[in-house]
Order: sequence, then structure tokens, then C-alpha cells
Amino acid sequence: MLPLPPIRYLAPKRLRDALELLEQGGRGRTAPDGDGAQRRGPVLPIAGGTDLVPNLKHRLLDVELLVDLTRIEEPHLRGVREVAGHLHVGALTSLAAAAADPLLRQRHPTLAGAYRQIGSPQLRNMGTVGGNLCLDTRCTYFNQTAFWRAALGHCLKRKGTTCHVVPGARGCVAACSSDGAALLTALGAEARVEGVAGDRWIPVESLLQSEGRRHLALLPGELVTELRVPAAPPGRRAAYEKLRMREAIDFPVLSVAAVADLAPGGACRSLRVVVSALSARPRVVTGLGDLVEGRPLDDAALERVAAQAYRQCHPLANMTADPAWRRAMVPVLVRRALRRAMEAR
Amino acid sequence: MKESVRFVVNGDPVEVLVEPGATLLECLRQDLGLTGSKQGCDKGDCGACTVLLDGRAVLACLVLARSVEGRRVTTVEGLAEAGRLHPLQEAFDTQGAAQCGFCTPGMLMSACALIEENDQPSRQDVREALSGNLCRCTGYTKILDAVVKAAGEVHQARAAPKGGGKP
Amino acid sequence: MTGRRPVGPAGPGPGSGEGAAFSVIGKRNRKVDGRRKVTGQSIFTDDLQPARLLHGKILRSPHAHARIRSIDTRRAAAHPGVHAVITGRDLPVAYGIIPWTRDEYPLAIDKVLYVGDGVAAVAADDERTAEAALALIEIDYQVLPAVLTVEDALAHPENQVNTFSAKGNVSKQVRLTFGDVEGGLAGAEVVVEDTWFHAGSTHAAIEPHCAVGDLGADGILTVHSSTQVPHYLHRELSRVLELPIDRIRVIQPAVGGGFGGKSEPFDLEFAVAKLSCLTGRPVKILYTREEVFAAHRGRHPMLMTYQVGARRDGMLTAVKARILIDGGAHSSFGLVTTYYSGQLLGAPYRLPAYEFDSTRVFTNKPSCGPKRGHGSVQPRFAFECALDMLAERVALDPIELRRRNVLGADTRTVNEFRVTSNGFLECLAGVERASGWKEKFRQLPFGRGVGVAGSTYISGTNYPIYPNEMPQSAVQLKVDRSGRVTVFAGVSDIGQGCDSVLAYIVAEELGVALDSIRVVTADTDLTPVDLGAYSSRITFMAGNAAIAACAGVKRRIQDAMAQAWSVPPGQVRLADGFATAPGTPSHAVPIAEAFQAAEARFGTLGGVGSYNTPKDVHGSYRGATIGASPAYSFSAHVAEVEVDDQTGQVRVKKIWVAHDCGRALNPMLVEGQMEGSAAMGFGEALFEEQPYDERGLHRGPSLLDYPLATTLDTPELESIIVESGDREGPYGAKEAGEGPLHPSIPAIANAIHDAVGVRLTRLPFLPPRVLAALETRRQAGLSWKGRR
Repeated sequence: MLPLPPIRYLAPKRLRDALELLEQGGRGRTAPDGDGAQRRGPVLPIAGGTDLVPNLKHRLLDVELLVDLTRIEEPHLRGVREVAGHLHVGALTSLAAAAADPLLRQRHPTLAGAYRQIGSPQLRNMGTVGGNLCLDTRCTYFNQTAFWRAALGHCLKRKGTTCHVVPGARGCVAACSSDGAALLTALGAEARVEGVAGDRWIPVESLLQSEGRRHLALLPGELVTELRVPAAPPGRRAAYEKLRMREAIDFPVLSVAAVADLAPGGACRSLRVVVSALSARPRVVTGLGDLVEGRPLDDAALERVAAQAYRQCHPLANMTADPAWRRAMVPVLVRRALRRAMEAR
Repeated sequence: MKESVRFVVNGDPVEVLVEPGATLLECLRQDLGLTGSKQGCDKGDCGACTVLLDGRAVLACLVLARSVEGRRVTTVEGLAEAGRLHPLQEAFDTQGAAQCGFCTPGMLMSACALIEENDQPSRQDVREALSGNLCRCTGYTKILDAVVKAAGEVHQARAAPKGGGKP
Repeated sequence: MTGRRPVGPAGPGPGSGEGAAFSVIGKRNRKVDGRRKVTGQSIFTDDLQPARLLHGKILRSPHAHARIRSIDTRRAAAHPGVHAVITGRDLPVAYGIIPWTRDEYPLAIDKVLYVGDGVAAVAADDERTAEAALALIEIDYQVLPAVLTVEDALAHPENQVNTFSAKGNVSKQVRLTFGDVEGGLAGAEVVVEDTWFHAGSTHAAIEPHCAVGDLGADGILTVHSSTQVPHYLHRELSRVLELPIDRIRVIQPAVGGGFGGKSEPFDLEFAVAKLSCLTGRPVKILYTREEVFAAHRGRHPMLMTYQVGARRDGMLTAVKARILIDGGAHSSFGLVTTYYSGQLLGAPYRLPAYEFDSTRVFTNKPSCGPKRGHGSVQPRFAFECALDMLAERVALDPIELRRRNVLGADTRTVNEFRVTSNGFLECLAGVERASGWKEKFRQLPFGRGVGVAGSTYISGTNYPIYPNEMPQSAVQLKVDRSGRVTVFAGVSDIGQGCDSVLAYIVAEELGVALDSIRVVTADTDLTPVDLGAYSSRITFMAGNAAIAACAGVKRRIQDAMAQAWSVPPGQVRLADGFATAPGTPSHAVPIAEAFQAAEARFGTLGGVGSYNTPKDVHGSYRGATIGASPAYSFSAHVAEVEVDDQTGQVRVKKIWVAHDCGRALNPMLVEGQMEGSAAMGFGEALFEEQPYDERGLHRGPSLLDYPLATTLDTPELESIIVESGDREGPYGAKEAGEGPLHPSIPAIANAIHDAVGVRLTRLPFLPPRVLAALETRRQAGLSWKGRR
């Protein structure tokens, strides 16, 4: 058995109570226990637990109190609804529910499809859309047992001073392994961030940061409570491609999200290509406007985009899959995503 | 200090005192003696601990015991009714789907969740539904056979007119 | 989809039924333990929760190679809730599964040999307390240079990994020559030569190892363990704990998969025994998944160079092999592995001349050992790929090339092993027909292909691990006046179904309904010795023992009923729950009444039977006994693949698996073994490897990082049972549990070649390797099936 450390556990029904518990913990203040006892220590939110629980069993995080979000009753945290043409997805919506949601499948079939490919049926039943977006960054030198990491000599992300992926690196390059993150970035989605002090919407692209140890631009005690995916304009083409070892369970070793908006004649109005499972933040391929806008997305355009992505994307040895191969796969996946997007209706 | 959690397991309400940090799997196996659910990896990689939580397949090694307060848990021990094997259990037995039998309880629970939703699954549907349950013995062939067969039987039973009045 | 292709009249061999009218044998019966398994009622070792149970944990080395300067356990021992702490000094007797290579200690004494080597163990109130106590044990290590590769091990004998080794880091070296190899190669019209690498793999049974030790007030030490070899464990516990063997009882509960990974003693078994002796309470240790990877004993990495000579017509002239084997820290079964790497290549093809030179070395990594298809899966991969290259060179269909070189039945191999039944030709024909080979080979479009491979495997080793003249397997029967028969046998059911096979045989022989058979196995207090679940021996050996055990009982029952009915004993038939005299309808009684008649006449009924191997089945040279078996199984596979030439990903669509198991005592179980074997080989071909970093640290000791194929990855598998009817097998049966693994890997390799024209020589066939091979081909400007 990999026992969990002794953890206090609370499951508030009101978002406000959850946020207060998280805020107190986040600021290093004492968090009140159910019985009024006062203890000090880190406070973490938990929903599906599919990322957090293995990480706790590996002793990757310190925690004194877990705040279970799944009993929160505020309706905006659950389900998919349409508001002024945009789709709102509650952060507590399970990945399975999101994948099967009729509205999401109709408006953003690529996103529903990406959720359907995550992990395994059990992991999708447990895992949530919010948890998937906030998934901790992963690294072959980090996601290991306490014994293993001690044998290694620890790493930058936890208890150590050296990065084993990029020796000498100051920053942590653990990989964004969330399927949702790449595609939500490409779709221009926003996340609603709630805390005791307030409530704000920020683009997913700016929620996700490049430092593997602090990959979320959240203040202490803040939670992502829902996502807003902007309405797809007519002429929207989107696709998501990922590489992994097995057809189930595994995290992506490389993923590409492509979202194109076409004019009625077929000319490209805009194209967003996001490559992920590189380092902490999905990489938005830049400089595509000059390459494709105003022109049809034909084979020649695909090649230009693929080459641009290849130039900008540099997979690292943060997973066991060969980084050179993963880099070679960047243009292959970009081409495939774009082709599939163009074929989709 | 142990804490109390109350839930329904295989139809029976239970109250258990669990360690802080205990998982549902520990609670089932050690506190309730329901050792049918297996521990293969203890971190969500193998599916041997799959149980149903409010009817959905979950990994008991990743569920905090405290979090199932008031919820409904079904384990492999709850599949047979009144000593009669569930059609899935019968099919696993007669089709040779259980070799060592260690992944079997988890497989059965994933298959059960599938059949509850879809009693006419294609072989590919079954592959998808069981894709989070690793088996090292069978190559899956006979497991897929068994689930397809059991689903057919469940479908027929559901389609049959209720009441059974004599012609 | 399955089909059976009997080869003529199966069924010589011991056992009644005269080849035709079986009641139980050959039917798709349930397993005796199936209903308990599908309800969660089967008790595995970790399901045992005796009163007053303590939980143990083992402290493991973070270094691949280090000297232990000192260990201080005082703080751990004083920790609240801790009941005992032991170190290597508490168990100072070296052990090893092979009596000639006892080169490991239960817990390291002076030196740790790999990351994860056990150093100390704690028994405490619960696992959390035990784990906390481990952190309080202080060890002063002097880190030594780690030897991590075969090359390094051979180049630096002064950095000795295992100090029991007689010669630097060489664990075992075997060189055997049969016939005129140099002449055969010189006279060959075509010589294929290449080097292959099998990366090794691990068993990854879903059940982690677990053991419970319990010293009773009567001084009897009971050890429950998830082992495949209760008998060998029994002996080693006695040696290492220095307790008389009759004071120890080993019980094997249900085992959640073995595949060779539980076929020798492990540190946890000694630790729970010792900790229970110290505390007087039951102690359980359950490995974490990471510890299972450290325990390993999996398939050896092998670097193999073959020269295969042939004539233009495809007839082989000579084969020469040089093999380097990475053994890890200990010998384990390595002496046997080293022999097997060469000795098991003598069939299914006739080799006019053959030489192999195999060297196993020690490295500072978890020890390798026997995994399903022990020692011969790696050479089979290389050799069957070489045959495919040869077929291409001489422009023959690869199935035809194999057909021409078939060894045949009732013959001897080049290394003098006696071969009896042989259904290999039927296996080849079966997969050729079922796969549509003739329409597919070289005719599928670029990116798709088919490949073939064949193999053979032993039905048990001819000799036990420790030399003795006693039976290798035995069965005792208790025949009850209620009509029930209890079968006592030492066999280890690890999921393969041997408990059920014994029930089928006894039910067949005594005419009892299957539900009236009870099977009691793998309990050294209750059951006669069987050597264990390894080398695919149980059906053949215990099956024959069961038939022998039934013979006397059956005769007494027949005699009693013959007397009652005034018919000759030979006319009394026992079948389907009745004793009858065919032809006289009034002469029919329920079997229980027949048992009672016999019991009244002869006294309490019971029987014993045993099996030992024939000794004239091998040559007399040194090593001639290793690889010898009373019978050999044969297999052939055709795999169909799709290769993505952009990503290098290989998708295996289907594998047709034909296997000559002599006779299928239960076709459902035989198919299960064939499918499971083929799937396991498939996983080795595409996914499984265990990279270690420069510290000797396993890069991913988890079921996430060591990818076992899921339902979505595993191909469709079609089983074709071939029944050649072995004259010495029970009802003609031979093994089915290991042979059908071998051809998977080369069949996939050969199919990849047919699909895209590249020969892959390094396992596993990960996408980067496939892509690199394709790139090399592109750069050479070669085309394949019209594509560059």
C-alpha cells in the first residue's frame, strides 16, 4: 500500500465556505476544524482526486486539510449551459459528463471528443473539467514515489535544487499533460476564478504559466469554478490530435489543437495552433497570420504551418518517450490536426 | 484520530470509523472485510479496485473514504442476488474470462456499469468500457466474449414482457 | 473466433476413454474455482486478515551498488507501535533457487546490489507505522561504482557485483557444438547474419507479491504466500530460518498471476517468517508495485548474433549463435537461462549443425529470471527473424521455407533431445489457411503486412531443480461413500487452471460429476509434493499422476460392481455419475452406490499416483539434461499489422495462433493460454521495456510507465488448437501455457517487414525505432511495394 498521510477533510456545501477554508490555508493562517480545533498547514482543494491522490501518495505535496469541492451546491459549478451564445462548463462537471453532453457535443464536438479520450472510463467518471485544466504539471523525475525521488536526489519541483531534464535550469520544465488545456487555449476559452476577495474571468491562455512549479496564475485560495468557451463562428474548423503510448490510460506525450475560422469562400480568417505536452505551458504557435490568413488552407499552407510549429516546439526529456521523436512528430500532428479540421463539418 | 463515515454498500447501510487519509479501498477491504475489490497498484493505474459509486465505475484506491458519506457503493460482492450469479458473472465463468481472477472483480464492475447504460454494446464499445482495467492473463479475448454474451442476456431479459402471465 | 483442427486420431497416451467417448475431457467445462473468482470469494494472500495481524515493511537501498558500513535500528525499534526490526544479520544464510548458485541473502548483509535491494524489515501495528519506522533506520552506505551494462561488467571484473561469483562478473558461460558447424556454414549457398536485441521484460502480474508468516503456539510456522513454488519455498524457508522442515507449513492461496515472477523465494517470505518468529504474531508484507519491479526476475535482456546457413532451396545447413545475457544482481534461474538460450532452438526445424555460445553476466540491476517462455523467447525472436530474411534471400514463401525444414515426429533434435508427437506442420497449415496468408503476403498495400513465425516449448523440465530420484508430481485421492472425491495435490494454480484440470481428469476416470470433486492443492501439510508452476509441467506431470492415482480406485469399484452384476470387471463403465454395464439397462447405479459397494468389499477407498520423467530422452554430454522434456509443444502464428509510416506507430490488427497441445483437456482453458501468451508476446513486441538511468534507477517502476496493453491496444486473437496426441501425455496432452508466446514477437517483426520493408532487430518496436528504420530505408533510396 502507498498510504496517504493523515489528512483532515472537510466537504462544505457552500462555495463561500470552501473559498474561506482555502484562503486561510493559502495565507498560512489556521484553518478551523469541524470541531473548532485550530491547526496549521497547507489546505488543498480536491474534486475527482485522480491527479491529487496519486500525487499525495507519492508525497509530492504537503497538505494538512483537504477541502472536498464535490458537495458544493452552487449550480454554476456543474453542467454545461449556454449564456449569450457562449458555453459555460462548470468546473465540477465530470469529464465523462462533459464528453457526453449534447450541447457541448453540438457546439464544440472537438472539445467533447478530447474529453472522451482522456485516461480511462473510471478516470473520466471521477475527474472533472476544472481539475483537468488545473492538472499539475508532470515529469518523469517528479511523478515517482518518495523512495524513488530520494534515490534520484530529488528535483527542482520538489525538495531538490537541480533539474534532471535540463541540467542547470533555474525553472521547472515539467509538462502540461492536460488534454483540455491545449484545446481550451486554442478555442480562446476563459476560466472563472473565484476567491474570497472576488470573482474574475481570465483567458485560459493566461491562467497557464510557464513555470512548472507554479503553472497556474491563481492567488492563494482561488479556485477555477467554470469555463466559458466562446461561440464558434460559422466556418469554424477544429481538431485535436494526441500521441500516447497506449490508446487508453496514458497521458499525451504530444498534443496539437488546431482551430481555424474560414470565410464563406474557404479563405482562412484566423488560425490558432497550440502544441502541448512540451513544458509547463501549452505553446501557442506564433506568426501564423502571415502564413495563412486570407488564403485557403491547402496542402501548401499546411506545410508552412507545420514547419512553423516545428521551429517553435522543442519537446524535452521530461518524459520517457524520446524527445527527438516527439519533436519530429510536431509537424506530423499539426498536419493531421489541420487535415482533420478541414474534413470536419 | 479515526472519523466516522456512513454510506450504503451493496444495499446495506454501514457506519465505519476510518483513519484520516484512508481510501475507500482500504475501508472496504480492511474495515468492512469486502476483500473482493483488489489492490494492484494503489494509484489508479490498473483498475483492479474498480467499484461503482452511485452507479458509476470509479477507482476505489483514489477515492477518500470520507468522501463517500451518504453515497451508494457497489462492489463485486453485491453483484449476485440471492445467491444467483449476475449474468456477467455467469458469462465470465462459462466463457473462461477469469484466469487468475485478480482483475476480475474490477472488470466485472466496469462491465456492469456499461451494461446498465447500454445492453447492446458492440465489441468495440466493450473494449472502450474496459479500457481502464488491465488484465495480464487473458489477452482480453474471453473477457470481451463474456461481456457481449452477458449483455445479450440482460437485453433479452429486459425486453421480455414482465409479469409472465400464462399464454 | 476459435476453431479446433484435430490431427487425425488424437488420444494415445495414458488415460481411459479410448480416444472417443469422453464425458469430461475435451469439453468446455467451468473451472472449479471460477464461481468463487467471479464473486470475489477467492481468497488471495492479501485478503487474509488473521487476528492480531502485524504489518511489515522492508527498507530498500537507494543505491545500485554500495557497501553497508553500519545499520542502526534502535530508533525504529523504539518507535511506538513497532514490534520487531530485523536486518541481514538476522538471516545470515545465503539462498538461491538453484542449489549450485546460492548467491543472495534475504536482506543485504555487507553490500547492496541494486536499487531496491532489501536491507531491513519492520513489523508494526499497521502499514503507516511500519513505514514511519523505516524512516528511523539509519544506514551508513559507502557508494561503489555501479555496473549497469553487460559491456561494463565484462570490462571491469574488478568491480564485482555479486561476490559469490567465481569469475569476475560472469554468472554462467555455456558453449555447445553439435555437428560440423563451420563446414555447414562454409558449404552454405546463403548465409544470413545479424544481431538482435531483446530488451527483456517483466511479468507484472496484477497481484503484487504478498506473504503472511504465522508462528503458532505449537511451534509450527505457517507461511501463506503468493508463490508458484510452494515446495521450493518450503525447503528454502527451512534452510534459511534454520528450522526443521517438518515444523514449517507453506500454503499458497489463490495467486493473482505469476508468469514466472513468483517462482522462487523472495525477501518478504523470509521476512514475515522471521518477524513472526520474533513477535509470536502473524505478520504480513504486501509489496508495493514499485517493489514488484525491484523483485523482478523477469525476462533477461539478450544481445544475440546469429549466422544461419542454407542451400538455395532453403534447406538449413548450420546455425551459429553468440549470446550475451544481462542477468542483474543474482543468479536466480540464470544457470538454466543460459542453457535454455541455446538448448531450446533444436526444434521445430531440423538443424544439421548447431553451435551456441552464451554468457550471462551480473549487473547492478534487479535480478532477471524466468518469465513465461524462459530463456527461449529471445533467441526465438532472433532466429525466426533470420528465417524470414533467409526466405527473402532464396525467394521462398516464409511458410514454405519453414515447412521444408520441419523436424517431424518421433525423432531427435541436433542436440539429442527426444521429440515424440509433433503437430507443427498442422500449426503452419492452420495459420496459413485461417489468416488468408496466400492472398496477403507481399500483396497488402504499403503499410500493411503479415508475418509468420513458429516455435516449440517444453512440457516440463525432465529433472527437478535439486537432484533426487523421487516423483516430480503426485496426487492422493480420498474417495468418499457420499460419492465425493477429494483430490490432494501439491500443484500451484496461478490462474492457468491446473486445479480444474485435475478435477476433469479424476471426474473422467472415476465417472464422478464435476461438482462432486473437491480439489485441495498447494498446502505442504496436506498435499503430496509437486514441484510447482514452472516450465509448463503441471498438466503433463500431475495429470499423469492423477490418472495413476485413479487406476487402483477404479479397478476396485469395477471389481465390486462386476461381482454384484456378475459381469467381467472390464464391462463396468464409470461415467457421468453412474456405474453401468453397457448392454444391460438394469445394471446402472448412481456412482455413490458403486463407491459404497467397493468400500464394503475393500475397505476405505483412496489412491495415490505419481509421475516421474523417462530418463532416456536426452544425450549424455554436459548440459544435455537442461532443456530435455518428456514432450514438446509446437506453435505457429501469423500476425497482421498496420504501420503508420509518419509516426512509426505499429498497430497489430490480429494474430492467428495455432498450437499443438497434444490434446485439449478443456479447449476453453487451452485457448485462454494461447490468447494470453500471444497477447503477452505482443506487449513485449510493441510496448514493454525497462530503461535504467546512470544511477541504476528504473525509469518507471509503475503500471503507468510500464505499459501493459489495454483492451484498445490488444489485437483480435484467433486460436487454432492442434491435437497431435502425445503417447506419454495424459490423454495425449502437452503444454499450452508458454509455447504460444514465442512466435508473437517474430511474427510481428516479420509482418512489419512485409508492411514497410524494414527489419527491426531491437525490441520493443517503439515508434521512434520504427521511424528511424524507415528513415534509413528512405535515405538509401529503396522502395517497397512501390513506395519509397
